[in-house]
Amino acid sequence: MAKAKTKANKKKPQSATDNIWQKKQKKLGFLVRMNHKSMIMIPLAIFIIAALLLTVHFPTLGIDLQGGVVVTAYGVNANPDDLAKYVSREIGTQVRVESFSGISQKGVRIYAPVGTDPTTIIKIMRVKYPNAEYTHSEVQPTFGKIAQQQGIKAIIFAFLGMAVVVFLFFRNPVSSSAIVFSALSDMTIALALMSVFGIQLTTATIAALLMLIGYTVDSNILLTTRLLKRKEDTVEDAYLSAVSTGFTMSTTTLGALVVLLLVSTSQVIDSIAVVLIFGLLADFMNTWIFNAGVLRWYILRKDAGRVKK
Amino acid sequence: MRKRKKSLLKNWRIIFLTLVLIGSIATLVVRPLTYGIDISGGVALIVETEKPVTTDVMNTVVLSLQNRLNTFGVKDITVEAQGNQIILVKVANVSTAEQAQGIKQVIEQQGVFYMEFLGTVFATGKDVEQVFPYKIQDNKWEVPFRISKTAAEKFAELAKGKAGYPVDFFLDVPENSLMVMPKNIYDKMNSTDFNSKVPTAPTLMERVKKAFHITPVVYNNQSADEIIKMAKQLKKERIVLINVNSNVAKQVEEKATAENLTVRTVTQAKGESENALITRVLGLYGPYAVGSGLAEGIPRQDVQIEGSAPDRISAMQEAHTIATVLQTGSLPVKLKVVGMEFISPRLGENFKNQAVYAGIGALIAVLLIVYLHYRNFKIAIPIASTSLFEVIIILGVASLIKWNLDLPSIAGIIAAIGTGVDQQIVITDELLGGKRAGRISKRLGMLRRMGRAFFVILASATTTVVAMSFLLVYFVGSLKGFAVTTILGVLIGIGITRPAYAEIAKYLLAGEK
Repeated sequence: MAKAKTKANKKKPQSATDNIWQKKQKKLGFLVRMNHKSMIMIPLAIFIIAALLLTVHFPTLGIDLQGGVVVTAYGVNANPDDLAKYVSREIGTQVRVESFSGISQKGVRIYAPVGTDPTTIIKIMRVKYPNAEYTHSEVQPTFGKIAQQQGIKAIIFAFLGMAVVVFLFFRNPVSSSAIVFSALSDMTIALALMSVFGIQLTTATIAALLMLIGYTVDSNILLTTRLLKRKEDTVEDAYLSAVSTGFTMSTTTLGALVVLLLVSTSQVIDSIAVVLIFGLLADFMNTWIFNAGVLRWYILRKDAGRVKK
Repeated sequence: MRKRKKSLLKNWRIIFLTLVLIGSIATLVVRPLTYGIDISGGVALIVETEKPVTTDVMNTVVLSLQNRLNTFGVKDITVEAQGNQIILVKVANVSTAEQAQGIKQVIEQQGVFYMEFLGTVFATGKDVEQVFPYKIQDNKWEVPFRISKTAAEKFAELAKGKAGYPVDFFLDVPENSLMVMPKNIYDKMNSTDFNSKVPTAPTLMERVKKAFHITPVVYNNQSADEIIKMAKQLKKERIVLINVNSNVAKQVEEKATAENLTVRTVTQAKGESENALITRVLGLYGPYAVGSGLAEGIPRQDVQIEGSAPDRISAMQEAHTIATVLQTGSLPVKLKVVGMEFISPRLGENFKNQAVYAGIGALIAVLLIVYLHYRNFKIAIPIASTSLFEVIIILGVASLIKWNLDLPSIAGIIAAIGTGVDQQIVITDELLGGKRAGRISKRLGMLRRMGRAFFVILASATTTVVAMSFLLVYFVGSLKGFAVTTILGVLIGIGITRPAYAEIAKYLLAGEK
């Protein structure tokens, strides 16, 4: 690192891009100085905590996976608890209410058990909020079961498919396993964060988890390629340049997702954006700390082996 | 410099991108995008048969649902079988939750089939014992079927000496209803248009009055309350509103539920004739003229309906429709609505605007963040605009394959753009890294650096496509859109936009130094 800097400094004209690049590398330099043992252990510990959390408290299933009725009212600004009491009293069934907001609109979602007629809820709501816009959906538990099975199947097969593709591309058990584990850990941590923040597992969030596989593999393949096929002088240099790229990638995607989250009031789009944000944060750690740790350890050992031969 | 510019513009990757881009824009202009129910407004229903069925039965169920929903007065209906037990029904332009609920009821009820002759019902769906394969000869069709012995006897008695008189078939006729319609429709229904070959026979209006207790009245701006009051006085179960002012119709719908009345609102579709509207509202198939062989007073169980159409293909369609209608009353499986989603059109419009704002906002975010990272608009602008091109091409392909754009599809486009930006950053850094490495050591040429970048891109594209394919295969319903647009985006990315971006970046960054 120091060597690269002095050499680069000898060049007189320094472009702005290069300056920024060096500053970024300096900032990310702490990652290089990390011991590869702790680089592996810390993310592993977080993965285990997330997994334990999930066994205790799995995210609640959305109505599309377990059945139920939901009425969404747009243009309603109300205290969820009061509204829940009001609606429950009027229809004689216990309902749950949550509120949401986008950039220009506020609203509430009213969850009721299967068999409730959504039109009666809307009628009751119209008394209080005649100008609100209503939509409703309902799912029978039997179909929820089917959707659950489909979701599980889709995730398992997508995961296996991903693993096969990664192994075919790298033909290296250590780096491939590290990538597959990173993907697993990303999904686990994203799920754990969903349960912490009370985000439901729905068909939409399952799609987001699948999408996460794509993003995870993106950054991990980048890292693996840069380190294993490196042409830079040292592993540290290669790592540093890769992590800078990774940092740019993650922050850009995160920025776009945050905009999406702020603007939209559609539950489908919101929940997909949130889950992707969780996953990308987890992915930053899993790729650039965990997987990097594994690779550095692997390269060290391989180089040591080569010297012996 | 100029020479390099020229060679950049002549590069096939750039030319290809430009052509595809122009093609996409042209496609979007000629054939505007169509939207899913969650954007255009409407109701989507997931229907399950009580047990798995064969493809033949499934086709019959799908067609009969289509016929029956047409009767209900809704347009833009798609009914689509998925696998051997699930049917997706999407109905656009449904504006109230009550209408949506009504559609659900129609699907869950068994279709009600009647055969009626001069105001007397002589057979129901149960009397249709078997429908045989239909025959087509040129533009003529025949549907043979067998009715029960009692129905055959009843008909023989009714039709004795009445050759040429009209026989009507009804599917889901609005029994015991007050039917409010404009004068021109009223007059048509009471004319001899529906009398087959016998002008002196009772008119269609007289027949349905007698057989089904339908009371037609002329609409002359009665209020919602007046309409409901009249229906109550006549002890009707339902109100059918034909071409009635939509505000009044909405009021009637809202007030009718409390009075235990169901409401059907039907409006004349563009290009729909008055006669077509009347047959649609009543669920009428026919009328068919009684053949001379059936007017002899001898009961015959094996009968057939004949007709002709402008050409062979429409003859087949007509025969198929009639065959399905005949079977509907005795459909072999029960249907249950297991999932349903209703979005009002105004809300859908809202979502669409949000998606557009979100898209523009996300692009600006990408532009700014990329600029912050590189402090160089020569990098930020190409990255953001390549993403924009990608969106346009995805939309162009979507309109080309007539994909209905729904919210999950939009989320898929956004996801694809996200990975797209990531990959462009990989390319950029490889190029910049190449320059930097050039100062340190010249170990890796430009070509090999690009090769490395494209290895990363190819590997991640393959995994995304593989992962999403499983979603496509294993998911029923709405998330298909997510998978389709993601896969499209990734393929367009590796095939068109990524190679072009690499060329542009090479050109711009080389100019840097």
